[in-house]
Parts: sequence; C-alpha cells; structure tokens
Amino acid sequence: MIEAALPGAAVEVTDETGTADHLRATVSAPQFEGLSRLDQHRLVKAAVKDRFDDGAIHALSLKTQVPR
Amino acid sequence: MSVADAELKQKVEELIAANPVLLFMKGTPEMPRCGFSMRVVQVLDSLDVEYGAIDVLPALQPLREVTTELSDWQTFPQLYVNGELLGGADIVEEMFDSGELAEALGVEQPEAAPASAAAAPAQSPPLQIE
Repeated sequence: MIEAALPGAAVEVTDETGTADHLRATVSAPQFEGLSRLDQHRLVKAAVKDRFDDGAIHALSLKTQVPR
Repeated sequence: MSVADAELKQKVEELIAANPVLLFMKGTPEMPRCGFSMRVVQVLDSLDVEYGAIDVLPALQPLREVTTELSDWQTFPQLYVNGELLGGADIVEEMFDSGELAEALGVEQPEAAPASAAAAPAQSPPLQIE
C-alpha cells in the first residue's frame, strides 16, 4: 500500500504485537527529499489511511528517511 | 471528516499560543493512558522542561477534527513548541535522540542515555560456572 502510493519506496514493516494491527514501519522513499519529517509522515499516513479507517491498523510507528 | 467546532478550535489555538511547550496526550503526565503519550512524557521529563499537557480523551473526536484543520495531523500525542507542531511520539523521540529536541526547547541534552536506548535490553554477561 505504501509502495503503491510512493513508487520506489523501500518499506520494512514489523508486526509489534503479533496481531498485525500494531505495526512499525521504516520507509525510505525518494519522494521524501526536501520534506520535513512531519510531511514525510503525512505522506505515509495518507497512504495507509484506509486501513486505519477500516480498523485493520490501530497503531503505526513510523521512521522515515530519504534513500542515499 | 466533519468540520471542526469553531469554539473548540479557537480554544485550542489560544492554548497553543499561551504555552511555549504544549502536549496533547491521552491521559495525564502522571497517568498516561497510551504508550505513545507515555513515551513523549518520558522524553520531556528527561529534558526537565516545563510543559502544558492537555488530556484529549474527554473530547477525542472533536479535538482530532481541530488538529486536522490546524496542523493536518490526526493522531495523538502531539507536541507543540512555540506554536508549531513538532510531531507525534516517533518524531519527538527521533529528535530527542539526535539532540534536535533539546535544541528546539533551548535546553541541554542530558548526559544520560535517552529513554529509548535505556529501554533496550542490556547485554548481560555470560554466566560462569567454576
């Protein structure tokens, strides 16, 4: 889902609790270049918004970075 | 997403303007009711900084609508410094670890290891049997 919204992004997701609804994701995307951390998080959260809205995800810890 | 309550929005704007460091959180600093909120409280406490804290739980949905309009941010906790949203727990912790948070708050970075590092399990020495 994140990869579809941010083409070229490298996404690594960990299931924190084993229940698949508390996730930790590290996202590295070329689209982050020049954006503040806030805006980088906004992009990712917008990409997964539907899964929050339908309740599939309760919590998402996020770390974003620009690929080197 | 419905339109935010204008009166509540004004109240929130006044609070953000009146408090140089303001945390919107679930629960209170003494009794956080969410792990993410607790992490931000721990960071602020370790920096020994004074801050205002608002418990969002009594009005979660109306406040979510307000912060969405004000800051384009839907989740709590939210830390505001000098009227600007810094971020939620992940960003606050990342900025703490890098020293950016202490800088933004105008305080010294503590010598002690940050809370997130302290929480990592320490490598215990192997047991030896003689």
